[in-house]
Amino acid sequence: MNAVIRTENLVKRFGHVTALDHLNLEVAQGETHGFLGPNGAGKSTTIRVLLGMLRSDEGRAELFGADPWKDAAELHRRLAYVPGDVALWPGLTGGETIDLLGRLRGGVDKGKRDELLERFDLDPRKKGRSYSKGNRQKVALVAAFAADVDLLLLDEPTSGLDPLMGAVFNECVKEAAAQGRTVLLSSHIMSEVEALCERVSIIRKGVIVETGSLAEMRHLSRSRLRATLKNPVRGLEDHEGVHDLVADGLDIDCTVDASALDDVLAQLAVAGVAGLTCEPPSLEQIFMRFYGDELAASGVHEGNGK
Amino acid sequence: MTAAAAEIENGLGTLAGTGKILRFQLRRSRLFLFWWIAGIAGFTWMVVPVITEQYQTEAERAGFAATMSSPAMLSMSGPVEYVHAYAESVGALFSHRMLLWTCAMTAVMFVLLVTRLTRADEETSRSEVIRSLPIGRRADLASALLVSVGAAVVLGGLLALAATGLDGGDGASPLLFGAAHTAVGIVFAGLTAIAAQLSENASTSTGYGLAALGASVLFAGAGNAEGNWATWLSPVGWSQLTYVYTPQERWWPLLVSLAVAVGSVLVAFAMVSRRDFGQGMMAARRGRATAKPGLKSATALTFRLTRGLIWTGVITLVLLGMAYGSVLGGADDFADGLSAAQKEILDRGGSDLKASFATTFISINAIVAALFGVLVVGRGRKEETVGRGELVAAAPVTRGGWPGSYLPAALFTATATNLVGGLGLAASGASGDGDLFGKIAIGTLVQLPAIWVLIAFVFAAFAWLPRAGWLRWLAWTWTLLVVYFGALLDLPEWAMAISPFDHLGNYPAEDFSAAALVVLTVIAAALAAFGHLGLRRRNLSFN
Repeated sequence: MNAVIRTENLVKRFGHVTALDHLNLEVAQGETHGFLGPNGAGKSTTIRVLLGMLRSDEGRAELFGADPWKDAAELHRRLAYVPGDVALWPGLTGGETIDLLGRLRGGVDKGKRDELLERFDLDPRKKGRSYSKGNRQKVALVAAFAADVDLLLLDEPTSGLDPLMGAVFNECVKEAAAQGRTVLLSSHIMSEVEALCERVSIIRKGVIVETGSLAEMRHLSRSRLRATLKNPVRGLEDHEGVHDLVADGLDIDCTVDASALDDVLAQLAVAGVAGLTCEPPSLEQIFMRFYGDELAASGVHEGNGK
Repeated sequence: MTAAAAEIENGLGTLAGTGKILRFQLRRSRLFLFWWIAGIAGFTWMVVPVITEQYQTEAERAGFAATMSSPAMLSMSGPVEYVHAYAESVGALFSHRMLLWTCAMTAVMFVLLVTRLTRADEETSRSEVIRSLPIGRRADLASALLVSVGAAVVLGGLLALAATGLDGGDGASPLLFGAAHTAVGIVFAGLTAIAAQLSENASTSTGYGLAALGASVLFAGAGNAEGNWATWLSPVGWSQLTYVYTPQERWWPLLVSLAVAVGSVLVAFAMVSRRDFGQGMMAARRGRATAKPGLKSATALTFRLTRGLIWTGVITLVLLGMAYGSVLGGADDFADGLSAAQKEILDRGGSDLKASFATTFISINAIVAALFGVLVVGRGRKEETVGRGELVAAAPVTRGGWPGSYLPAALFTATATNLVGGLGLAASGASGDGDLFGKIAIGTLVQLPAIWVLIAFVFAAFAWLPRAGWLRWLAWTWTLLVVYFGALLDLPEWAMAISPFDHLGNYPAEDFSAAALVVLTVIAAALAAFGHLGLRRRNLSFN
C-alpha cells in the first residue's frame, strides 16, 4: 500500500503529560480518512507533528515517505491545512489572507478562488478581526480547497459552520477525493465522517484504538435486533452472542454480535417471526463502545445499541 | 411603569451592577495592579536613599545644579524652578530627576489598565457574556474607572510614604509628591477611556493612550527646556509644575489634572451610549478583496504586520530628534550665562558643550530606537501565542522565513528609526553647522552595532526561551538603566559593561573605538545565527 501518512509508535510529551502514546496511524494515497476522537485525545497534536511544528519524542512520522520535522517546508508544498481554531490577522482582509496563503504555495488559481468564495458565501473584503468563527474557518477552507495539493489536513474544519455550509464543505471534500487527493479529516461529528470517509481511525488518550473501513467496523460490531415473535423463544438470554436483551411478551429487543447473527436468526425462525428489524451499528455507536467507560464515569449510560 | 423600567428610563440603569463588576475586575487585575504599583513605588523607594547619600552636602548639590540647568538636561528632567532649590532641598533634586520618569511609568500603567478592563474585553467578546446579564451598558467603564482611581490613590499613598525620607520640604511635601502621580494616573485613565471608545480593537486604544503620553513628554520637555507655556499642555507637566519640595510648592496645578480627568470621563460616558456594542466610534472600513502583488512571502507578511509599529517608531524618533535638536541649538546662549567654574563641571573630556549635549541625545535616540526593534520581536512571539502564525507555519516556508523574518524586521525598524532620529537631531540642532551635522551623523551610526547586539540577543531569547518574554524587557530596561541612571546609582563597572551601549565611547564628546564596533557587530551576528539555530530546533506551539 502506498501510504501518504504513516506514524510508527509516535510519542509526544508535554512536560508530564503524554499527548501521543505510541500512536500508529496510516493513511493510503487517495483515501478520505476519518480521524475520530473527543477533545484532548491527541488529534491536533498528531496533525502538528505531521506538519513538522512539533518534534516527536519517540517513534517515527512520515509524510509522503519523508520526515516532516526535517523537510517541513518542502512537504508543505504538497499539502494544505485547516486548523481547528483559525486565527486571522486582524488588519488583513479575508481576500488578502487567501491570496497570501496561495502565493506562499506558488500561486493562486483565481477562477477557483472566486468560485469557492461564491460557494462558501464569504465576503473577502472584511478585515480579519470582524469575521465570526465560522467565517474565519471559511477563509482557511477557501485557501485550502483552492490550492493544488496532494493532501488536505483538516482539523475539525466544520465546528463553526452552519448546516448549509456543512453541506458545501462535504461537496468540496468529495470533489477533492474524486480528483485523487488524500484527505485526513479530524472530527467529532459522526455523520460528517460517515458521509465522507471510507476508512476511520479512532484515537483515545493518544493511542489509535481502532482503525479500518467503516464496513469492517460494522461487521465487527453488534447489530441491534428487534423482533415480534409468534411463539416465545427460550435460551436467548443465555446465548453468548446476545446482549442487552429486553423481552416484553412476544416482543424482543437486543444487540447481537455479528458472528452470532445466523445462529440467533435460526432460533427466532423456529419460534416463528411476525416482524423483524435489524440495524447495523452507526459510527456513533462504534465510537461510543470505545468510550463507554468514560461515559459511565461521567454518569451517562453506555450508548451501545440503546 | 415598573420600577425596573423606570430605573432604565432615568438612566441609572446604564450603571446597574457596577459594584459586582468592580469586584470581578479587581480580582482579575490584582496581579497586574500589584506588580505595577510595587514596581513604581519600589523603584522610588530604592532610589531615595541612593540620591540622599550621593548629594549630602549643599556644595555637592549646587555643583550638580550647574550641570542640570542646561536646556538639554531640563528637557529630560523638569522645570528650572527645582534646580534653583537644589542647594536647600534634596527633595527638589530628587523630584526634578524622577518625576518625569515615574509619572511616565504611571501613565503607561493606567493606559494598559483601562484598556484591558474595557476595550480588550469587548474585543474578545468576554464582556458579551456580562452584558447579557442585568448589567448596565456603562457599568464596565464605570467600574474600570473606579479601579483606576483606587489604584491611583494607593500608588500615590505608597509614593508619599517612599518620599517621607527626603529632606527639604514641609510636612505636606511627600503628600504632594504622591498626589502628583495620582493626578497623572487619573488623567491617563480618563484619556484612555476615550481612546477605548474610538477604536474597535485594544491595540489601537493602547496606541492612542501611549501617543498621548508621548505628546505629554514632548511638550513637558520642550516647555521645561525653555521655561515656557508648552509645559502647561502636558498632563505630566501639570504634576511637575507643583514645584514639590521647593519653596514655591503649590497644589493648584493638580486641579487642572482633576478637571481634565473629569471632563474626559464625561466624554467617554457620552460616547458609550452613542455606539453599538463591539463597535468603535470610528466605523471599520472595508478592505481590499485581493492582496497587493508584493504580499507573497513570509517576510513580506512580517513587514506588513509590523508596518504600523515601524511608522510609529519613525515618527516618534523624528519628533524626539527634532525636540532635542531645538535644545541643542540654544546650547551656546546657555553656556554664555555660566560662570567659569560651572563650565568646567560641564566640560567633558575637553570637548565643547554642544558636543557633549549631542552625545547624550544620540544615545537616548538609540535606546528609544532599539525599543521599537524589541517590540517587533515581541510581535513575532504574539503571532505564536494567539495562533495566527499557524497558517504560515503550515505553508511551504522554512523556520528562517517564519518566524525568522522577525529578525530582519526588528533590525530594520531599529536601524531606520535610529537614523531618522539622528537626522531629526542634526537637522534641527546643527543646521548651518556642517561640522556638528557630520559629527551627529557619525555618532548616530556608531550606535548601530550596539542596537544590533540588543536586537539579536532579544531574538535569540525568543528562539530559545519563547516563554520568557520578560527577558526581552529586562535586556532593554537594563540598557536604559545604564544610560540614564548608571552614574547616578553608582552601578559597578561590570554591571554597566553588560550593556552593549557602554562600549561605544561618548562620541562626539569623546572618541569612539572602531575595534569595539567591529567586536559588537560580530557578537550581533553570532547571536543572530544562534537564534536561527534555536528556531529550527524548537517546537512551534500555537493555541
